[in-house]
Amino acid sequence: MKNSADKAIPAARPTPRNKGPIRFEAIVPLAIVIGVLALYFTLFFDAHLRRALEYGATSANRAEVDIGKLDTSLWHASVMIGNIEMTDPAQPGRNRVQIGSIDFRMLWDALLRGKVVINEASINDVQIDTPRKSAGRVLPVKAGGDGSGYGNKILAQMKEEFSGNVLGDLAAIAAGANPREQLASMGDDLKSSAQITALEKSLDEKKQQWQSRIAALPKAGDFTALQRRLSGVKLDNLQDVAQIQSSLQELAAIRTDFDAKSKPVRDATSTLGSDLAAGKESLSGLDKIVSEDVRSLQARMHLPSLDTRTLSRALFGMDVLGKVQQAHGYMEQARSYMPVKGEKKTAAPVRARSSGHDYAFGRTNSYPRFWLRKALISSRLQGGASALSGQILDVSTDQSLVGRPMVATIKGDFPQQGISGVRAELVINHLTSVPIERLSMEVAQYGVAGRSLVSSPSVELGFAQAEGSAKFSAQLRGDNVDVLMANQFSKVAFETKAQSDVVREMMNASLSGLNSVNLDAHVSGTWSNLDWKLSTNIADALERGMRRYLQGKMDEARARIAAMVNGKIAEQRKRMYARQAEIESSLKSALAERQAQVDKLRAELDAARDKLEERKKAFLGAQQDKLKQGSDKLLDNLRKKF
Amino acid sequence: MTILLKQLFALIKLLNSDTGTNQIAAGFACGLILGFAPLLSLQGLLVLVCIFLFRIQIGAALLSAAFFAVIAWLLDPLSDAVGSAILEADALRPVFTTLYNMPLIPLTRFYNSITMGAGVVSLLLAPLVFWGSKKLILVYRTKVVERFRNSQWWKLWSGTVLFKWYVNYEKLRG
Repeated sequence: MKNSADKAIPAARPTPRNKGPIRFEAIVPLAIVIGVLALYFTLFFDAHLRRALEYGATSANRAEVDIGKLDTSLWHASVMIGNIEMTDPAQPGRNRVQIGSIDFRMLWDALLRGKVVINEASINDVQIDTPRKSAGRVLPVKAGGDGSGYGNKILAQMKEEFSGNVLGDLAAIAAGANPREQLASMGDDLKSSAQITALEKSLDEKKQQWQSRIAALPKAGDFTALQRRLSGVKLDNLQDVAQIQSSLQELAAIRTDFDAKSKPVRDATSTLGSDLAAGKESLSGLDKIVSEDVRSLQARMHLPSLDTRTLSRALFGMDVLGKVQQAHGYMEQARSYMPVKGEKKTAAPVRARSSGHDYAFGRTNSYPRFWLRKALISSRLQGGASALSGQILDVSTDQSLVGRPMVATIKGDFPQQGISGVRAELVINHLTSVPIERLSMEVAQYGVAGRSLVSSPSVELGFAQAEGSAKFSAQLRGDNVDVLMANQFSKVAFETKAQSDVVREMMNASLSGLNSVNLDAHVSGTWSNLDWKLSTNIADALERGMRRYLQGKMDEARARIAAMVNGKIAEQRKRMYARQAEIESSLKSALAERQAQVDKLRAELDAARDKLEERKKAFLGAQQDKLKQGSDKLLDNLRKKF
Repeated sequence: MTILLKQLFALIKLLNSDTGTNQIAAGFACGLILGFAPLLSLQGLLVLVCIFLFRIQIGAALLSAAFFAVIAWLLDPLSDAVGSAILEADALRPVFTTLYNMPLIPLTRFYNSITMGAGVVSLLLAPLVFWGSKKLILVYRTKVVERFRNSQWWKLWSGTVLFKWYVNYEKLRG
């Protein structure tokens, strides 16, 4: 290790012992480190992994997820997770899903390649909607809505639309809410009033613009001068062609000057016509804004439309939206974790270490980053009979490498929850360039108790008891959405509560004799433009029943709102129309005077030109006759000679 | 922390002694590779094992790893471009496909553009750092240390009883 430069340093200091290149004294510390690591993995690793999994799953579920037990074996590369409880964020006292155990074993062959491949996993004792010992923690909803994507924004807008309390508002009207009092405090911020002010301003601006344009036009004196020049042109007592030609030339010069001066007048006249027409059109748009004001006031007064479409949306819109939102969320997750074949990787911002782009050099039959080949789902009754069975096939991060789509099927019953005949199939096909996710689900029977449909201070409506069956299918292909829902509730017992006797009577009368309720929903289109079609016979019944009680009151309220809006803007409107007419007539008359002068001069110029042309023609004709006579005489003389 | 400080003091001591030039230079070179590699990676672990098993100055390696990690972070865009160019080279695709499907090799994360780029850059720079740091250490010893030892202050200090005790202690400790 010494070199020549070292020799330059005096050798008075102590020389260390010459040790070999290998650090043998490090073997003991290294053994201690390995021992500590082994001890950690034996004693603490499972507990720490359990905590980490709980944390990750809680974030994904948006509510507490508890894992009862976790055992790992490094030697067998196996994991056993026991008693998983996923809190339902809507009901923190209950679990959305409870799983008895999940067992799986990873392939060492894949682990050594930095990949996780599970040949077979088993998911046992799956239950839904089970009670929790203590309420689970629910994570607060992040500020900024459910997501940042365009689809999320549209769904958030729909949520706002569906979450209105239409039935409560109708009940309030039935109970006798007085719209006159509400109206008294409204109407100071009408859009139509602001629009009229803006239109008046624009009329004044237009008037000024036109006044300055008219002032810049050639003056009356300019045309009088041209007229003087025209009167100086000799039109009579012309002796020969040369004189006629000279007059014509003079006339052409006057015409050129006239054209140059009259063009701005002509242009202004035609532009004024189109400008005034456009102004009139913008005034006619005022009616549309007045209608908007009326609608806006109706909304502010909670005066909803009494039609089945609105009622269907009010009753079940949020349910359907919830399902569509879930489908959207799962779709985004699936597309993020299972990228579509041929999808271009987006360049990650290259600031943090370990980012950059990952390249896949997979061969056919090689492993993807993660691959769960098969997971068997089972749940058994206490007697040992199978209650639920299903399987999940080919969950992978690279379907093109696996060559198969992910398919999950489940069928069976949840007897403790009174749910039977569950059949579901989920197919996630990202093998093609357009990703396809398809879910079809069917529940033959499930019990409904205490389900609220409407909850407002003035009225509450819900199912006290019912038996339900449901069919749900969703197909997401690229950006296209096609969701179908068909729910049937039989043996329905309604529960209605209302403060007012009239409302109670109205609700009971509307729903009497209705023993079964159906709900059909079809959501189609693209995520940016969804078409929502909802229909339910409960909305039909309510619409029929409520119309009897409410139509008169609502018509009266609407008429009152319209009258109020029109009354508020009537004076302003009248003034604006008068102003518009005044400006129009003043501008037209200012231009008409100039235009009349132009027309008169043009007619005079045309007449003078015609007169001169006629003279020229007559003069030339006379000369031709004279020449002909001379030539005839010459011919006769020649004939006589010969 | 104590171990880290001990290693740093050992580095200073070795730097001011007449020996261990190659150990320190190798430490700097290994630190370069360590700093450019991802924190948790197979190649990082291999370099660490080498540092511990071979007589490479650990303090120098750790110090330079921290320093070169910052340099590597600044050079990430360059590493990304270099790595992308290498990983997208058609001629190398069969090699990468074989490596990608071999056991253990994917744990190096060589298929990542930044890891590949930074790895190649660090391997190219390692010999330069080794020779460069060797030269710098020698220059430091001849120019700085010798001048310091010839100073009045040092002569005064080395003549004290306390210093002699320390020298004896060091001799005994080996």
